[in-house]
Parts: sequence; structure tokens; C-alpha cells
Amino acid sequence: MPVTFTFGEFLGARSVIGSTLAELGEDRENLFVLTPDIGATLVEFRDRFPDRFIDVGLAEQACVGIAAGLAYDGNIPVVSGMLPFLSMRALEQIRTDICYPNLPVKIIGTHGGLVGNGGSTHYAVEDLALMSALTNMTVTSIGDPLMVGEIIRQSMSMTGPLYIRLAVGKKDMVLYEPGQHDIRIGKGIIAREGTDLTLFTHGTTVAQALAAAEQVAEAGISVRVVDMFTLKPIDEELILDSAERTDGRFVVLEDHLAYGGLASRIADVIADRRLHLTAFERLGIPQVYAGFGEDEQLRDKHGYGLSATVSAIRRAHAA
Amino acid sequence: MAELEDLAFELRSKLLELCGTYEGAVHIGGDLSAADILTVLFSYGLRVDPTDIAAPDRDRFVLSKGHAAVCMYIAMAIRGFFEYDDIVATYGQLDSAYGMHPCKVQLPGVECSTGSLGHGLPLAVGMALGARHRGETHRVVTLLGDGETGEGSVWEAVMAARSNRLGNLVAFVDRNKQLMTSFAEERVMFEPYPDKWRAFGWNVVEVDGHDMGALVAAVDALPDPGSEVPTVVICDTVKGKGVDFMEHNLAWHAGSLGAADLERALAALGASRTKESV
Repeated sequence: MPVTFTFGEFLGARSVIGSTLAELGEDRENLFVLTPDIGATLVEFRDRFPDRFIDVGLAEQACVGIAAGLAYDGNIPVVSGMLPFLSMRALEQIRTDICYPNLPVKIIGTHGGLVGNGGSTHYAVEDLALMSALTNMTVTSIGDPLMVGEIIRQSMSMTGPLYIRLAVGKKDMVLYEPGQHDIRIGKGIIAREGTDLTLFTHGTTVAQALAAAEQVAEAGISVRVVDMFTLKPIDEELILDSAERTDGRFVVLEDHLAYGGLASRIADVIADRRLHLTAFERLGIPQVYAGFGEDEQLRDKHGYGLSATVSAIRRAHAA
Repeated sequence: MAELEDLAFELRSKLLELCGTYEGAVHIGGDLSAADILTVLFSYGLRVDPTDIAAPDRDRFVLSKGHAAVCMYIAMAIRGFFEYDDIVATYGQLDSAYGMHPCKVQLPGVECSTGSLGHGLPLAVGMALGARHRGETHRVVTLLGDGETGEGSVWEAVMAARSNRLGNLVAFVDRNKQLMTSFAEERVMFEPYPDKWRAFGWNVVEVDGHDMGALVAAVDALPDPGSEVPTVVICDTVKGKGVDFMEHNLAWHAGSLGAADLERALAALGASRTKESV
């Protein structure tokens, strides 16, 4: 019996991963779950399918290579772990062993962005740039915990690799009630309709974008909020539509380096499609190693918190 | 045995011919060191069928030392997978299926795309796990260069293989003791090499990698694929084996032979065979 949650409630994306994989494992005997010692999320799958749960210990490179070997033989491997290590230490295995032969391996992990207070070794802030550079890779970043389950389900029929980025995944805000939106890999979600400008974002900052839109609405500014949870392939049509419907005013907000992530992917579309924008503001992590602090504190400190988002909206609106 | 030795000689001759006609680099040193091992695997040890390359019960082979691709292509051609003439006619050219490192997308007869070192053993572990899960009894065999066992990912996979009790996994190591730019022990202390594998819990077999009888015996003595301990066959080899001016010569990691040098190399190969059969 599905448990329903409504907007504003909190739920752990990790528990959704575990329960979804355990559910999918029932019908799919070729579903394997692998982890480099970050398996707490996967307890339900591990307990139900111990022979298809592989914890290699602290060995990200072998973990990804073993997943590729399984996929070569017709299996569907899901690798789960902390993204700073999977996306960088095992980058070449992801590129060479998975993307090159275009194998259906899913990489799903936590600690995307300045989350978790682990310090800069434990923040994945370059990961979307790295993953987006890889041929055949589909790249997603998800904020809504229920969406995680939906995307994992959809991914079972994908023929190539998939990257799913989460924040810490212990307490995530429910953004969309089930059935409210058509959620499809490759298509952005209009999380809030608006007419003056479009605020593009993904992952954990969608909630902040909605809060900023709510704040400026009181001042009469109408913001369309687009949850561009698939960064690659990017929803070009939605970008074109947003340019047309919101007067060529764009703000991009993301918990990733300000250059190399979603803002850069949108900028590519703008250049390739020769869009003439009125405003383009990008909010993200500057070229710093961020240090310690809670998520909101770090966003404020580094210039992409709620008040900075509101300021960027006002600047774009006034342009 | 004599038949396998003939096939290994044929493999080396064809390697040299390709090295003589192709103007770009061929990894001839490491191809020649692996020639006997790949002959034994493709013409004797591996349960494979060139007319049914996707047979579910086939043994899987992963060329971890991907730069020995030519040696594998020709060993497979001798076994009937491909036409040698196609390899030599198109090697390295635009749209050819045959190039410096194997690509499964371009050449479906090979199991994996490899080339970056230290990747093959993890891939083989994944394949062996998949076979175990489905209750299949084939083996997964990989060939590593000893130099690439400097990569940390190899030892990650060594641990994973033992931890998952993969007796259906066999690693051959082409222990030619040369890296690209140096003799291995000058730069990296690999020895005591077999002890390193033993310490990780593997079944270790040591053979002369150019002694066909010893290689066949090693293959025959492999544990049952249903057993729990993975096996490594450490093959003592010589880089450039069979061509005197290439043996133990750092200049011949990779290269190409002109027409005159091809004659010289083929003569040296013939002489080495005569010498060994005396």
C-alpha cells in the first residue's frame, strides 16, 4: 500500500531507494545492487536478495567495474554510494567500462552539493559537469524524495547508463504530490507557473526556488519555476518555451559549481539556438572549497541562498 | 602439443607480418610475450564457439592488457572467429573493427571494451558473479599484464573475487617484467610477486609462459568452476619473445617493422624455433 505524502512534508530519499529497489528486485532477477561500503540505504534489498547485493568495501573503482561486468552479461546493476567518490575516483571506470559500451548501469548516490557538513572532501560539486561530459550518460539531480522511486522505476527499461544525484537523502521536502506532474526522464517539470521570468533549478534547491518565488509574488513578480531534474539530455523545448513565455528572463540556481552545471547546459542551448535573452543570472558555488557549515549557512555564505535568489530575481525582473 | 606450438608460431608470424605492413605502432613486445598464452586459451583452454559467439555457456575472456588486442584478434582468427586477411587489410583504418585496443561495439566477437589498464579484472569479477547467480558453469578468464597490476583497481578486484568465492574466475598474468619505459623491478618492486596473490587468498599457479606443455597442464589443472577460490596463473614470459632483437629490449614495447626488418624479424623467429626444437 503506497504511503502518500503532501507538499512540505519531509521524507528520506534513502528509504525510497531501499524500498523501491527491494520492490523491483521481486520481478527482476537480473537486478543487482552494489555499494562501496555505503549500504545502510539498501538494507531492504540486501535482506531480501542477499545473493544480488554486493558490498565490495572501500573500492569504488572495482565497484563500478564489477557493475559493468554484470551488465555485459544482461544484468541491471545499480551502484549506490557517496557521489564525491563515485563520480571522481571511479570517473574513468564510469566513462570507460560503462559509458563506452553503453551499458545499463545506474549510479545513484548522495552528497550532491554543499550538504552534510562533511567538508570539501565530502561535497560533490563538480559531479554534474563531469557526468554531463560523458557520451551516452543520462544525468539527473532529484530533490523530491518520491521522485527518486519514480525515476528508478523508469530507469529499469533504459538501455544506457544513468546518474542520479541526491542531497543527503535523510530528510527531503516532498515537492510534488504523486500524480500531480508528468515526471519523465528528459523532460523538465514546471513546478510553479509564472509569467515574468523563469527560475531554473534542480535537486535540493527546488524548494528554495519555490520559496523565493513565493516571496517575490507578494511584490507582484510572477516567477515560473522549472525543476530541470534531467540535465542531460536537456529539455530544449522547455527552455525555448520559457524564453518566449517569460520575456527572455532567466535565473539559474543550483547546488553545484556555477560554471559547468545546469547554468552552463542552458547557456549552451541559448548559444546554439541563438536565443536573445533579456536577463541571465546564475547562482551556484563559486570556485571555492567551501569548508564546514550547515547547508543553508553555506549557501548564504557563498552567494546562492534564499536572499541571494530573491535579489537575483529582482535584478532579472528589472533588466 | 606440437600442434599448439605450430599455432603459436603461426600467431607470431602473423603478428610480425602485420607489424611489417602497418605503418603505425603495434604493441609487438607485449603481443609476443602473450602469444603462447593466447594460443593455449583460444585454441585449447577456452570453451568458445566461433559460429555461436553469444552462446550462453561459453567461457568469457576479458583482455585486461588491452594493448595486446592484435595478438587476441589473430589468436581468435586462428580459432575461426575472424579472417586474418580482414585484420591485416583494415587494421587501424577508419571504420575498421580492428584497432589498437579492443572495442566490443565495433567487434561483437570480443567480450569487452578494454585498453585502460587495471579494468579487466573488475569486469571479469562482475561476469563471474553473474554466472554464479544464474547457476552457470562456464569460466571467466582474464589476461593481465604484470605491469598493470600496479593499478590499485586490480587489487580491489582481487579482494572482491576472493570475498565472493569466485572459483569460476581465472586470471592469467603475462609476467614479462617490463613496463613501457623500464624494466619493472628497476622502478616498481613487484617481487615477491606470487606471494602477493597468495596473501590475498588466491590459488596461485606458476608456469613458464612459453612452455606449451606447462601451459596446457595449468589449464588442465584448473579447479572446478563451482569451487570457491579464484586462480591466478602467473606466466613467466619474455617481452618480444621469439625475435632476438626484440627480446628484453625496451625499444620494442611498440613499433612497426619496415620490409627489410620484417624479413630480419621473420628469420629470427624461424631461427628461434629451430633452436628450441633442437
